[in-house]
Amino acid sequence: MTAPTKTIVILCSCSGIISDRINWEKVQALLKNHPARPEFVVDELACGADNLEHLTKLLRGEKPDNLVVAACSPRDHEATFRKLLADAGVNPWQLQMVNLREQVAWVTADPQQATNKAARMIFAALNRVQHHKPLFERRQAIRTEVAVIGAGPAGMQAALTLARAGRKVALIEKEPFIGGLPVRFEELFPNLECGPCLLEPLMGDLLHGFESDLVQLHTLAEVIAVTGSFGNWNLTVRKNPRYINPDLCIGCMICAEVCPSKRNNRWNVDGEISAVDSPFAGALPNLPHIDSSFCLKLQGKDCNICQENCPVPDTIIFDDAASEFQLQAGAIIIASGADELQDKLPAFASGTEIHTAYSFERLLAMNGPTGGELLKKDGTPPASLAILHCAGSLDKENTPYCSATCCRAGIKYAHLAAARLPELTVTRLVREQVIPGVDAAVPFHNDHSHVVRYQGLPDLALQGSGNEQTIHCNSTGEQVAAEMVLLLRPIIPSQGTASIAELLELERDNAGFLSPLHPLADPCASSVKGIYLAGSCRGAADLRDAFASGTAAAGHALSALVEGRELVVDPQVASVNTSICAGCKTCLPLCPYKAISWNEQDNSAFVTDILCRGCGVCVAACPAGAISGQGFTREMLRAELKGVLS
Amino acid sequence: MSCQTLSQLQQSVPVPIDTGSDQKLKIVAFLCNWCSYAGADKAGANQLPVPAELSVIRVMCSGRVEPTLILEAFASGADGVMVLACHPGDCHYKQGNLQAACRAELLEKLLPQLGVDAQRFCFDYISAAEAEKFSRLTSGFCARLQVICKKQVAAKNIV
Repeated sequence: MTAPTKTIVILCSCSGIISDRINWEKVQALLKNHPARPEFVVDELACGADNLEHLTKLLRGEKPDNLVVAACSPRDHEATFRKLLADAGVNPWQLQMVNLREQVAWVTADPQQATNKAARMIFAALNRVQHHKPLFERRQAIRTEVAVIGAGPAGMQAALTLARAGRKVALIEKEPFIGGLPVRFEELFPNLECGPCLLEPLMGDLLHGFESDLVQLHTLAEVIAVTGSFGNWNLTVRKNPRYINPDLCIGCMICAEVCPSKRNNRWNVDGEISAVDSPFAGALPNLPHIDSSFCLKLQGKDCNICQENCPVPDTIIFDDAASEFQLQAGAIIIASGADELQDKLPAFASGTEIHTAYSFERLLAMNGPTGGELLKKDGTPPASLAILHCAGSLDKENTPYCSATCCRAGIKYAHLAAARLPELTVTRLVREQVIPGVDAAVPFHNDHSHVVRYQGLPDLALQGSGNEQTIHCNSTGEQVAAEMVLLLRPIIPSQGTASIAELLELERDNAGFLSPLHPLADPCASSVKGIYLAGSCRGAADLRDAFASGTAAAGHALSALVEGRELVVDPQVASVNTSICAGCKTCLPLCPYKAISWNEQDNSAFVTDILCRGCGVCVAACPAGAISGQGFTREMLRAELKGVLS
Repeated sequence: MSCQTLSQLQQSVPVPIDTGSDQKLKIVAFLCNWCSYAGADKAGANQLPVPAELSVIRVMCSGRVEPTLILEAFASGADGVMVLACHPGDCHYKQGNLQAACRAELLEKLLPQLGVDAQRFCFDYISAAEAEKFSRLTSGFCARLQVICKKQVAAKNIV
């Protein structure tokens, strides 16, 4: 045994609240034989400013090894007394509080019993503090740059918010253009604002604004690996070749005009674009890209037309190749978005003129396949349009949840279609209608489409074809003219959301959307520190949510990563004794914060202190007892246990 | 789970704190910092009765309490042991309470094999607001232990 430790016990009377019920003299008498030989200080109100000053002086002089404060709940004043110790030059973790006010004095009517219980609890605390060791906050430098994955509205908003605060941002987008889905939508609910026009200022600022120097945009890029943790992430990004030098290209699109090879325009669902082309007019950055599987030159054929016609030499780079690069960031914001469900189409969707929300948006768009005209594939206008709500959503067997945005879109489509074709018969087939919000009232009450209620997809059958095509509603016998059918499909996580979730092992909900730290109180933080969420990767959401959550996620990053401030790692975390760890890996899946990883070199588990939140679940689960939870070690809890049972 | 039926049972039984008994019970309750400990604090703020026999050990999460710690409590003379957690879905650490619930379920099966009446162990959920439930549950558990102890004393006397 080393030199005996000195333990001071502060008995706080709490202005009589505690001492009216508990007799300090008896308590001291009951504890006088405790092996720690504590010294007692009775204080009238230990948390009072003057009292704290006095106690600081006292402790500075006494230099105790440990301090027990018998007072109120540690939930009230633990931080106060930790600070007292620090001010007195004693390690603040040498403290144990005994909750005599809330958990003894106020709940024990009999003073005798209260006094005995108080003595017992202090006895246990005295036992416990003998096992306390000085703990030290680890400080670590952090990077303040932020990586934003996805350049839709949420990601752009996050990136721009950060850039406006002077932060360096890497904005990573897998498509050749930015703006996400709404940049392809002609008019937005509820005010029929033009999608590209709404986003243009944001996109302009990102690409050419005052803060654009701070935003490094990577289009055609995907994150393929991530290592590190909060404050120091390392991302590996794969950049697919554009075959165009962005610094030279002036965006004249002459190459697209002269290119002899055509490909299906997947961004428009219908129609074609050239092998070298931009997905749609106005796509930003204003650059074409080459699809190597359609480019004759890249397929080894003798064609050089684009290069010959390009007004700026060396702009088209046929030997461009996929590359990988490393990117460092203190935080990652995921804004990888959602998509509409493609498979599990209702049985009758095999009919003709079947659209989904996305293909219909493109059909209505001025820069879409028909230049904004509502036309069938044969180029003629339809006589009737049936909009089928919940085409897969609210279906227990398939997509059980409400996709939240489609009712509003359905009303918008009905309005826009009728405006395009005044003769058009529009029917909305609905199961439920969800039109929340004050500003939705106008479009809802001005909706002139015929509304038919149906029971669920099995209730419907597609009959006839061409302009005779109808949807038959079995339950009501209603026959709905449906020369063109618009299916409002369930909203699901995008492919990008699924892959980043897998890469970072992020928690997902039943539908595969990324789970926030708390659905109500922390909707834009993930359970992994330093990874924040924005937009519809969190669940089907509209533009309003995208902008709000983009700003919120940027706010998280800004407050977590402050220039010049070091990361202070709470010392009350778990740590693995590698010489005891048997390598069973029991702990690995238990940590909700992915703080435990496997160290191949040591053949043992490893806790990343930055990610650990000190819950101790792994400590309790370790069969070998190799994990220690600082502040709540086995020895401390057992000493306390022995104390209360003595 | 039996602890849930216990809390249901206690709703109908007003249990006074036994102050006069010679038999001094020793009850250990492991409370998680965020919900059940806060609930116990609230019981204090509301001045609701909590058995004097109860000794609270605060842990950050109910998932920190390993079954061996509970067994050691019994071995060291505890008459009863409680583990009180956040309600499912409310865990500050996402699911530590569910880990605790799984362990409690197994432990309840194990205790009789070790000669410990499973009724001497209680796992339940207390939210930060459930001061009244904390008071009722701890008082009820105390009363239950007194019955068990009396039976055991009686059994010994017969032997």
